[in-house]
Amino acid sequence: MNTIAPSKNTPMIELKGVCKSYGLYEVLKGIDAEVARGEVVVICGPSGSGKSTLIRTVNRLEEIGSGSISCDGNNIHRPMPAQELNRLRSRIGFVFQSFNLFPHLSAIDNIAMSPIRVKGVSRDAAYAKATQLLERVGLTDKANAYPGQLSGGQQQRVAIARALAMEPPVMLFDEPTSALDPEMVGEVLSVMKGLAADGMTMMCVTHEMGFARDVADRVWFIDQGQIVESAPPEEFFSRPQTTRAQRFLSELRH
Amino acid sequence: MISDIIVIIRDYWLLLLIGQYPNGPLGGLAATLILSILAIAFAFPVSIALALARLSKSPFLNWPVTALVYFTRGVPLLMLILWGYFLVPLATGANVPSFLTMLVTLVVYQGAFLSEVVRGGIVALGHGQMEAARALGHSYLGAMRYVILPQALYNVIPSIISVFVSTIKDTTLGYVINVPDLTFAASQINNQLLTQPFQVFFILAAVYYVICWSLTRVAVATESRITRKRAGMVPLPTAKSLKLAALTDQPS
Ligand SMILES: Nc1ncnc2c1ncn2[C@@H]1O[C@H](COP(=O)(O)OP(=O)(O)OP(=O)(O)O)[C@@H](O)[C@H]1O
Ligand SMILES: [Mg+2]
Repeated sequence: MNTIAPSKNTPMIELKGVCKSYGLYEVLKGIDAEVARGEVVVICGPSGSGKSTLIRTVNRLEEIGSGSISCDGNNIHRPMPAQELNRLRSRIGFVFQSFNLFPHLSAIDNIAMSPIRVKGVSRDAAYAKATQLLERVGLTDKANAYPGQLSGGQQQRVAIARALAMEPPVMLFDEPTSALDPEMVGEVLSVMKGLAADGMTMMCVTHEMGFARDVADRVWFIDQGQIVESAPPEEFFSRPQTTRAQRFLSELRH
Repeated sequence: MISDIIVIIRDYWLLLLIGQYPNGPLGGLAATLILSILAIAFAFPVSIALALARLSKSPFLNWPVTALVYFTRGVPLLMLILWGYFLVPLATGANVPSFLTMLVTLVVYQGAFLSEVVRGGIVALGHGQMEAARALGHSYLGAMRYVILPQALYNVIPSIISVFVSTIKDTTLGYVINVPDLTFAASQINNQLLTQPFQVFFILAAVYYVICWSLTRVAVATESRITRKRAGMVPLPTAKSLKLAALTDQPS
């Protein structure tokens, strides 16, 4: 359609002066930031600092008050017909803290349903792709299991596969491992590492600092609705510039 | 007493079954079943439409439907039937058959009740499912159709069945506007016999009981299915196996 052909050099996600309030409470106070193509950004910050709100504005699950957000060359928050927004959303993968798998569908149906219903992919192609994705997240044997029969880690891996099925050029994660028992965190993170290695552009809210160190190209530290620091992980972890970040990191280590 | 009942059934079974047909309109049990099935078949989709309208943010959809639901829930069904019977011909000048009046009234009334059940089922699901579907690019109605309603309706099956049962019971009220249903046939028989009202209306009660009881059995069976599913014991049955259960569910 009328998508501007994005050049290799334009950022994948570009936030300009993004502000958002709930009533009188300002959650986002002018966010300016970019995520380059293929870049992995980890977002961290204290509870209530606006991390979820920020990541949810990128696929417009939340509206913004002012500013603009573009993703893959498309202005996400411009006025547009609902259909166009649906099409743009389908090109932004989103993984929730609480998985939100569809409990009435088996794992493979969860993955294949949206390509069929939203993109009009043929059933055969959708199920072939879903089978591939299940293999990629290591759950080939769980294709016909229902979400209620899967562990949290398995559910989150299916949720990642479901998002990937739409073939989005960018993936957003909002604390994908926070709802998991500790022994299941690793299996989800390793799927995410694989994605990053394949060159996926990722924006990921997480407090898994090991993941940030290994995988992230940059860490954004958010506090009170502002990006206070943005630095490569080794720099951020060893030499945080602000006292707020220092305090956050020392609390995290305890 | 039992023998009286058997005699009544022997003498009047055809009237009870199909009314005056073919010399008059189709009536009796056939009319009751047709009225019930049509009322349920129309009330169900109507209730989904009403529920979606009440959940809509648009005041043009939300307000009138909310008013309609409050109104119908606050007014006795019999009043609605009488209004429809006397006022619609006055207002339109058309001669509306009483069967149609009864059907439309039942659909509106039970549709309004059922819409609250459906809305409750949707609201109880929470935001997560809708957000997940929208994030994948589904439209609002697409998300409703493929994600929300299959779960919400499934979860409220027992309440849906209750409304269906009361729809069947409420078809008896058609009697007051001369809908030739089973109740009407029974009262015709009673008027002829004059001396055996207990026996006649016992037959009537027994037939309604059997119909409603079978439906209630379905409700109980599906309810236990939901419980088992929630415990993660069995995968969700498909619509097909559900229908099958309704047909094969034997009274214990
Ligand atoms: N729908 C809402 N209405 C009003 N206030 C809200 C709403 N959603 C979030 N908030 C407020 O906005 C602020 C930021 O919330 P957000 O969920 O973005 O924080 P977060 O950084 O993701 O925190 P956490 O680490 O706990 O997930 C919080 O103070 C929260 O109370
Ligand atoms: Mg959050």
